[in-house]
Amino acid sequence: MDTFRPDLYRDPDLVAGLAAKIAGKAAQIGRKVKIMHICGTHEHEMGRHGLRGLLPENVEVLAGPGCPVCVCDQLYIDQAIALSQEPGVILASFGDMLAVPGGVPLEGERRGDVRMSLLDARARGGDVRAVYSVFDAVRIAHENPDKEVVFFSVGFETTVVAVAALLLRGAPAELSILEANYYTPPATRLLPSLPGFDIDAFLLPGHAAAVTGIRIYEHLPREHGIACAAAGFEPVDQLAGILAVLRQIAAGEPRLENAYPRVLAEDGNVKAQEKLFRVFELVPKRWRGIGVIPESGFDLLPEFDRWSARERFKGLLPEARREGEHPRGCRCAAVTLGQSKPSECPAFGAMCTPDDPYGPCMVSGEGTCRAWYLYGAGDGSLEVRA
Amino acid sequence: MRYERIKMAHGSGGGLTLELIEEIFAPAFGMGELADAALLEDGSGRMAFTTDGHVVKPPFFPGGDIGRLAVAGTVNDLAVMGARPRYLTAAFIIEEGLAIGDLARIARAMRETADEAGVAIVAGDTKVVERGRGDGVFIATAGVGFVPEGRDVGSHRLVPGDVLLINGTLGDHGMAVLSRREGFELSLALESDVAPLNHLIEEVFAAVGDELHFMRDLTRGGLAAAANEMVRHGPFGVRIHENKVPLQEDVAQYAGMMGIDPLLVANEGKVLFAVTAGAAEEALAVLRRHPLGARAAAIGDLVRQPAGRVVVETPYGSRRLLEMPVEEQLPRIC
Repeated sequence: MDTFRPDLYRDPDLVAGLAAKIAGKAAQIGRKVKIMHICGTHEHEMGRHGLRGLLPENVEVLAGPGCPVCVCDQLYIDQAIALSQEPGVILASFGDMLAVPGGVPLEGERRGDVRMSLLDARARGGDVRAVYSVFDAVRIAHENPDKEVVFFSVGFETTVVAVAALLLRGAPAELSILEANYYTPPATRLLPSLPGFDIDAFLLPGHAAAVTGIRIYEHLPREHGIACAAAGFEPVDQLAGILAVLRQIAAGEPRLENAYPRVLAEDGNVKAQEKLFRVFELVPKRWRGIGVIPESGFDLLPEFDRWSARERFKGLLPEARREGEHPRGCRCAAVTLGQSKPSECPAFGAMCTPDDPYGPCMVSGEGTCRAWYLYGAGDGSLEVRA
Repeated sequence: MRYERIKMAHGSGGGLTLELIEEIFAPAFGMGELADAALLEDGSGRMAFTTDGHVVKPPFFPGGDIGRLAVAGTVNDLAVMGARPRYLTAAFIIEEGLAIGDLARIARAMRETADEAGVAIVAGDTKVVERGRGDGVFIATAGVGFVPEGRDVGSHRLVPGDVLLINGTLGDHGMAVLSRREGFELSLALESDVAPLNHLIEEVFAAVGDELHFMRDLTRGGLAAAANEMVRHGPFGVRIHENKVPLQEDVAQYAGMMGIDPLLVANEGKVLFAVTAGAAEEALAVLRRHPLGARAAAIGDLVRQPAGRVVVETPYGSRRLLEMPVEEQLPRIC
């Protein structure tokens, strides 16, 4: 089985062949084509391999809302921070989340409109630990039976499955879950309704679709005439996805295509979906910088309330959302929607760097600004830093 | 300073570490050019002098331990300045409860590594702190060496056209330590590359002499930190050919799995050489004949444009930036 053979999916000859085919299709289409992906891993791998530099001039790939850390409502961050300051509480979070500013202003620190992050909470004595999965949080709970361990559950449908699997088989009583989990497909319902939306095609997220399947995106070609291909992340995978949507556009037949068949079944992972919806229900959730999207978030079903941090720490959690989704001058909202390039933000590279991020898109390993800062725009133009 | 309190990232070897050095220590001590060791004149010759702190967790890791790391790291800091390392000192900050057997094992490793490098450990100090105030043992070292007459390496000699060589695979140390860290345990047989490189470096000097312009040991922050520090020194950039960078298959795989770029990972037995284009082939041949350089490679060069940047050419003919590492790549690995 060669499913995970990076040497094959990074093969320079295969890449060159696909790039040539893409150039041919793009010439045939003869007009500007805008493709949006909605996955931070797509953006990072695109930058790391310089893939935009392999595309013809009339094909543009834009980053959409694909970073769970970037869209996480600042209220959840404030709640996690508040819990971390409670005596006897260990707050376990993905490392990506630690430096993301919430909504609480930090007076007198650094420059600009600085908001408190979990790292700031840790520097103020909070017991904040970086973990790789909810199972690390379980281990911490076993090792600290006299403490409350709160897992800050951030992520899309891919990461939340692990939490569902854990709670179904039973978790330690000292563990609780602070849900900040988002469901991507509903965001693709919102995007086409935004003013000025002119995207011709979506590159759908291969890993997320491996859980949800791709049928959930059927409305895109059907209702909006948008070409769609679910794609993987290696250079060959991404270019195959781009070629697939260009072929659809050239033929004038937008549809839903699986360009990642080595991993992705069209129905997704049915077992995982079943587990997911035995534990979580879909609720309206606020996406940072975007607004409330119906049925776009996961909350625990009432029968799992005993592991809900919101239930357990009722009264201790801040409920009011602070003013201002993002710090002043930060364009993360427009960047998240693909309406602005990171390099067009005045803070980018100047007062907002990965060492000292100002907005969430610079913090996360999935964030578009961070990818552009670290790798350049991915198109060979290397002067994107301010 | 961008922060009012120390963050873990101030120890990452990346931009915040540099900021700490350039804005706090260098002005306070009135230090000039910053390098791996200071070069001091006393009339009879040049002496290299350096100091280093070691806080690796866990203290024993596949391929080495904190003792070998402390000696090799200090020796290498001196050797990359063109010095022949001679004397080391070591101060131990020991946590209450550390097994005496472990301490003896660390001391033995230090002696063995010192013998391997041909240096003597000539003074030391011991302090004990309460349980919970240290991770077993921290070691602070100092080292001196002497630069032979006529030898001149350093950032002032870097010029566009210089070829960049490394003596082997990147990322081995950082990934080996990470593979033994709590929560990351893996069954892969990764081993640290920790080793004193002074003899290897002497052989390169013997072969190409003055054609060797610059060396840097690729510790914290890996190649990314070293290359970015290089381009701060002049109107030139660094170009890296990604497919020329040697990687062990297991390291590449594990790093890929963890989403870590091996170019940013620490090494403890790798040095980056800048040599003239004319001498590159010979230097490479010398490296490859040495046991610590079997997989040596020419991985890039100094270019005029874009100045101030490190650019990676991908195997696909596209380009990307390689930035200074940010945040805690892998905390406490050296």
